[in-house]
Amino acid sequence: MDTTISSKNVTAKKTRAFGLLSRIRRLPRGMLIGAGILVFYLFVALTGDYWTPYDYNQVGTGKPFEKPSSEHLLGTDQLGRDVFSRVVEGTDIVLYLALTSTLLATIIGGVLGLVSGFVGGWFDQVAMRVVDIVISIPFLVLGLLLISAAGPELAGSFQLLIFVIAFVYAPRIARMTRAVAIDLVTRDFVTAARTRGESIWSIVWHELLPNATGVILVELGVRAGYAPIFVGALGFLGLGVRPPIPEWGLMISENRPAIVSAPMAVFAPALALAVLVIGLNLFTDGMARLLGRTAINV
Amino acid sequence: MIIRMILSRLALAIVTLFAVSIIIFWTAEILPGDIAARVLGREATEEAKAAFRKRLNLDRPVAERYAIWLSGVLRGDFGKALSSQREISEVVGPRLRNTLFLATYAFLLYIPVTVILSILAATHRERFLDGVISSLTLIGLSLPEFVVGTALIYIFAVNFKIFPVMSLIQTSKSFIDSIRLTTLPAITLMIAMAVYSIRMLRDNLIEVLDSEYVRMATLKGMPRRRVVSAHALPNSLVPALNTMALNIAYLIGGVVIVEQVFVYPGLGTLLVESIFLRDAPVIEAIALIVSTFYILANLFADVMGIVLNPKLRTS
Repeated sequence: MDTTISSKNVTAKKTRAFGLLSRIRRLPRGMLIGAGILVFYLFVALTGDYWTPYDYNQVGTGKPFEKPSSEHLLGTDQLGRDVFSRVVEGTDIVLYLALTSTLLATIIGGVLGLVSGFVGGWFDQVAMRVVDIVISIPFLVLGLLLISAAGPELAGSFQLLIFVIAFVYAPRIARMTRAVAIDLVTRDFVTAARTRGESIWSIVWHELLPNATGVILVELGVRAGYAPIFVGALGFLGLGVRPPIPEWGLMISENRPAIVSAPMAVFAPALALAVLVIGLNLFTDGMARLLGRTAINV
Repeated sequence: MIIRMILSRLALAIVTLFAVSIIIFWTAEILPGDIAARVLGREATEEAKAAFRKRLNLDRPVAERYAIWLSGVLRGDFGKALSSQREISEVVGPRLRNTLFLATYAFLLYIPVTVILSILAATHRERFLDGVISSLTLIGLSLPEFVVGTALIYIFAVNFKIFPVMSLIQTSKSFIDSIRLTTLPAITLMIAMAVYSIRMLRDNLIEVLDSEYVRMATLKGMPRRRVVSAHALPNSLVPALNTMALNIAYLIGGVVIVEQVFVYPGLGTLLVESIFLRDAPVIEAIALIVSTFYILANLFADVMGIVLNPKLRTS
């Protein structure tokens, strides 16, 4: 008797473990590759500081614009800093800026969209008009306007960049989640909750949010996929983070004048950025497919 | 009915544009720091600064300054640049012309590339060529414009020396020369736009190719080439037109980065320069011009949607 029970338990455990593995195996291949890339970047971001051969800001570790060698895997930049160390130690900065800003935008935009779609009426009208107006300014131009309005004291600070990206993204996310909310509020379970006399927040939290999670997750993924490019573009224009921070877009613009003698100093950060974005896009694409939606990236 | 819908969209676009102008003016005018001290230098006397503020109406309330600015803008007068003291229309005009030249060139490259590649992908669905095109567009989606542009410079300007490293179009003497100087930035913009619409148009084409009337056409013996060109393409272009119009809107914003990569003297580089110079009137003028184009492109996409969609027309 005892033995049968225990053996049953073992097989149950086995099938569960096997089930998880086979479930992972059945995920879209692109999603697995994307997840692999993201895990790798997370690992580099978390541990990079401990195993890079030089400090990212150590000047004169070699001559300026040295070719790649065993001492400097990717060569050096104009101040003789090690490019490999800078690219690796830039990972956590790029990830931090891109992910916090996207998360902030998703929270603000998601709440605004759900509440607006649920409440309707004048609040919805006003909120969506404002959203439409903000969306009518090209996002990069809006970002640059905000940065220039923030002034020289705040320029280059992480908080400003996160705020700017979140401010540009949030209205776009709000519009998307509102469309879902509008569809959901006509369903019976929302009417039931309303009849029960639940508060707005309770309905948004317990009824709308769980049903909108898929759309919000895909939105989050799509925006997160573009956020590193946004951070890099601002850095490239000289309006993002300030030197000597090893943000990849900034590094590309710093090292561009020497692209002939030291192409690696330009292409290493570019490749790091591109692979990260590919990973994010593959992961989002797979996730969207699993959730039965298409990732619309506009 | 349809005219009324279009008119209401037009009215909405105008209202939006006004609201956008308020946002732009407001963000540009709250630039911290004393504009007078910045322009005249630290040694300027208090009287000189006061006179300067009076001349620029800086001593009046923001709402009044906005009204003055707007009435000027509506007459085509953006005021004077703080940094150079030249008329803004003189500063911005040539830059706008250069940007429009670049944008037009990019768009003319974009249409054939998008149509040809998406037809190839759709007709070779799930086969090798489709795989190649899909992977390339996915990679293209993940590459920022400044990376694509820099790579193009490295390949075609540094290694092969076919095109110049910097697109200093103001030095060009002939139309051919201008084309040569603008080719790399135009290709960069084209790639950034095409990667989206190729995927989109491919999916649309496949959907239409699977539909019954296309099967019917194939069954009655119509050649494949004609099935694609006469049935599939026209019907999948309708939804794609919307993407194309949105791509024009993107083109207007993305041009800022691409111009910076190639040191191309357009609106984008002028905007970045003006932000560094803290030249508020020029920033306002450029942001407003760019947003106007953006809103018009979106309006165009909307109107195309109404005109071409029979369902929207009747409802």
